[in-house]
Amino acid sequence: MFTQPIRNLKERLQLSRFFKGEKPTKGPIELNHRRIFIIPTLSGLGFGVLLLTLLLIAFVYNNNLAYLLCFFLASIFVVTILHTFRGLAGLKVQVGPHKPIFAGELAAIPVIIENPYHYPRLHLQIQLDQIETCTIEASCQQQIIIHTKILQRGLHELDTLRLINTFPLGLFRAWSPLRFDTPIMVYPKPAKQLIPFPDTDSDGLQSGAHQKRGGEDFSGLHEYQPGDAPKHIHWKAFAKGQGLLTKHYSTQLASEIYLHFATTPGHNLEERLSQLCRWVIDAEASGIRYGFNIPGLNLPPSFGTLHRSRCLEALACF
Amino acid sequence: MPGSIGLFLIMLDHVHSNVLIFLLCSVGLIVLPHAWNLSNLIIGFFYILWLWRLLGVYRKTVLPNRLILFLATLAGIALLYSQHQGLLGLDAGTHIIITALGLKLLEIRSERDLYLVVYLAFVVAATLFLYQQSIGLAIYIVFVCVSLLATLIILNGRVTATIALKIAGLLLLQALPVATILFLLFPRIEAPRWEFLQDKHKAKTGLSEIFEPGSISDLGLSDELVFRAKFTGAVPPPAHRYWRGPVYTYTNGKLWLPSTQKVKVLPQDYLSVSGAAYQYTVLMEPQDKEWVFALELPVGIRPPLRLTGDYQLMNDGNTHIRNEYVLRSYPTFNTGTLDNAEFKENTQLPAKVSPKITELVTRLQGVETSPEALIRQILTHFRTEAFYYTLRPPLMEQDPIETFLLKTRAGFCGHYATAFVYLMRVAGFPARVVSGYQGGEYNKVGNFLEIRQADAHAWAEVWLSDKGWTRVDPTAAIAPERIEQGVNIDLQIASGLVNFSRINLGQSGMVNFYQQFRQVWQSVDYQWQRWVINYTNEQQADLLAALGMFDIQTMLRALFILITLLTLGLFIWLTRQPRQTKDAALIWYEKFCAKLAKLGLIKAPAETATAFADRVSKRYPTLNVAVHQITVLFLKIRYGKDIDPNELKLLAQRVKTLNINQLLKKHSL
Repeated sequence: MFTQPIRNLKERLQLSRFFKGEKPTKGPIELNHRRIFIIPTLSGLGFGVLLLTLLLIAFVYNNNLAYLLCFFLASIFVVTILHTFRGLAGLKVQVGPHKPIFAGELAAIPVIIENPYHYPRLHLQIQLDQIETCTIEASCQQQIIIHTKILQRGLHELDTLRLINTFPLGLFRAWSPLRFDTPIMVYPKPAKQLIPFPDTDSDGLQSGAHQKRGGEDFSGLHEYQPGDAPKHIHWKAFAKGQGLLTKHYSTQLASEIYLHFATTPGHNLEERLSQLCRWVIDAEASGIRYGFNIPGLNLPPSFGTLHRSRCLEALACF
Repeated sequence: MPGSIGLFLIMLDHVHSNVLIFLLCSVGLIVLPHAWNLSNLIIGFFYILWLWRLLGVYRKTVLPNRLILFLATLAGIALLYSQHQGLLGLDAGTHIIITALGLKLLEIRSERDLYLVVYLAFVVAATLFLYQQSIGLAIYIVFVCVSLLATLIILNGRVTATIALKIAGLLLLQALPVATILFLLFPRIEAPRWEFLQDKHKAKTGLSEIFEPGSISDLGLSDELVFRAKFTGAVPPPAHRYWRGPVYTYTNGKLWLPSTQKVKVLPQDYLSVSGAAYQYTVLMEPQDKEWVFALELPVGIRPPLRLTGDYQLMNDGNTHIRNEYVLRSYPTFNTGTLDNAEFKENTQLPAKVSPKITELVTRLQGVETSPEALIRQILTHFRTEAFYYTLRPPLMEQDPIETFLLKTRAGFCGHYATAFVYLMRVAGFPARVVSGYQGGEYNKVGNFLEIRQADAHAWAEVWLSDKGWTRVDPTAAIAPERIEQGVNIDLQIASGLVNFSRINLGQSGMVNFYQQFRQVWQSVDYQWQRWVINYTNEQQADLLAALGMFDIQTMLRALFILITLLTLGLFIWLTRQPRQTKDAALIWYEKFCAKLAKLGLIKAPAETATAFADRVSKRYPTLNVAVHQITVLFLKIRYGKDIDPNELKLLAQRVKTLNINQLLKKHSL
């Protein structure tokens, strides 16, 4: 799906199009004349002053070669507009899948730019927070990772991405503001403090889990099942070609915790969420089955990447 | 923000020092031609700053700090002040721009400074044209401008110098159409002449208002172009190529001056002419005087041109620029009678004539009293006695004419002309000295005559009662080659001696390669002068009238429309979709499938091309060969590595010629 046609004049003349771009879309966006804007840079305005100066010199001294020089540069000025536009025209831009991050981290967003044309795009600039530059050869596709720092947890819409071109002379700046419908999931920042996991025999849970936690008695090997902790996989056996086996410990059954929003320590909401986040990460890392309960979501004890992301996403969007 | 400037400097030094080197080279080249135009001090100062900056590219520590830069600026101002030129005027303005450019080179701190330097360099390029407008310089500047643009391209594209130069050249080529249209159609308004912006015209060599017999020999060593004349019909033979300049009537024995009589208004029929006229266009180089050199004698003069009482052509307009005049001259003419005042003026003698001269005239005149007889006698005297024609006659301080005639007997055309006139006047016949140019080099390629300072000449004019003013050229008696063959300027300049062209212009085969090349070059130069340098508002009006545009509104409209169309065309060409050969093959294959579909054979989406071909062959064995040929070719083009454009053509042809009509009939039956 390419660009949605702009329906009426009012929409077309909206000022926000110049800065924020059109409505966000998921698929690749092809840059066409509706998406590309162009204005002279400060140097371009300076070039205009130069042209006027040359015209004045030619006029005062009635000198045809000075006129010719002035007209040549004026003509190059016009041709540069076309070239600057051409630097962006026809590119197909797409944002690749990106991983969720924790608040305060840099999100790495892969931008995939395809140049279907027979000329290279030199020194293309991609701006999100910072500006990345790249050169895309003719009939080539390239992936550029841009980074953006997000401090707030939640599901963030990707900021307007700008493709900028000043090539060849830097007299004009062509830019295309693009909005993609690929939100970034930002989990809360995990708490730094190490607070032991909460005891879980409350709220009428029928887990019958009164066993001691922390024992490490090896009880045997089982066939790998999705959700088993990677650190418990018997890698040596795997290397020998015996397939994926998971080491099981007797305590594992016993180590089942329940993470409750209500019982989580913290001065405010964010601190609590941070703490929960930390527990989820730690529980997952140490292979403990954990149940998860926050207002609006109740997950029975489970384990694995999927479970972990569900919990963290719930925290992010809380 | 000092931080970002520092960052930029680091970037400049490490990553893009080649931008700076490139820029410095271009700037150094653009100022170079000014070494011939401007004060050596200023140029020297600029190149010191330039070298300083160039060293700074390699060794950052040598770059000046703020204090030293300030001192350098002061030095620059002092230097400008020492030139006593003020702020306005061409030299002064150029000096300021070049000094500012040099100082700015040392102060490149940000990207914006780089741009400023490039822009200043473009202004310097424009000032170069105010001094010289030759093709050579124009080509040179085009190259330097390309490298200046390449600097910006390196900066914005992070490409290598070679690629940047290539792109800059392409930009220039793409800019050519719009630039040409702008040049032709941009309205030229004659600027008012602001005297304070012009320098006093440097004294130009050439004929002067006051004539001294020796003055022409100085011109004999100058190959400076005076004018060119392009003939529409026949080109006059060398003996007719007398280009009339100032006429000298009064003399004090040493100097000759033009007539002081009030400008005589010439009657409408001032000439009775006969024979064929020469039609030609004179392209005069800029000059200080208002003189226009026409073949003797021009008729049909229209303002701003005017003819003086002694038949010299004048331009009342601006002659400091190149001018073009369309003229018509008759080589045979009769100027009619003289009035008393004129008669008196043209027989004037400075003082008492020395007895030796009187004796000479009496002796030459003999018993015949007609002026024609005396003319013959004097010319014979010059020819038969030991008279020499030389560029460097001995100095004749006292009574130059008498000394020349009786003692030294060696002189240039001016000596012979003045002596001749003097002798005629002693005998009581009206005579005067005419100066101008004689001859000119014929350029076969461009079909024009080129007249240089070395062609300067002086001759005499005698009034005869039945013919009016009649030209007599004593030089023709003493050195007929001068008139018949013209001056060999190169040899004359090289040797400092009188030299005449050896080649006979009638024999074209004798022209050697060098001369041929020179003629081609001069012909190109002529067109350049005519169509580029001298394209004024009048030429523009002529051109537009020829295209049916008579007013400025139509012209501006045409200008906008043409520029829009050209830009649009360029835009479409630049952003055209690449036609991929592989896709073209697919298009032809689809046409092929469409043809077969008429026969009821529809290719299933999952079916391979080969399987489809097999199925078609089974159903219609007659198509076997053709279908397989097309399929193989299609597969080869679409999935092969190297694409041969001929194969695509072959595929197209085979699809087109695939004949299914017969089968179609059967099928429909």
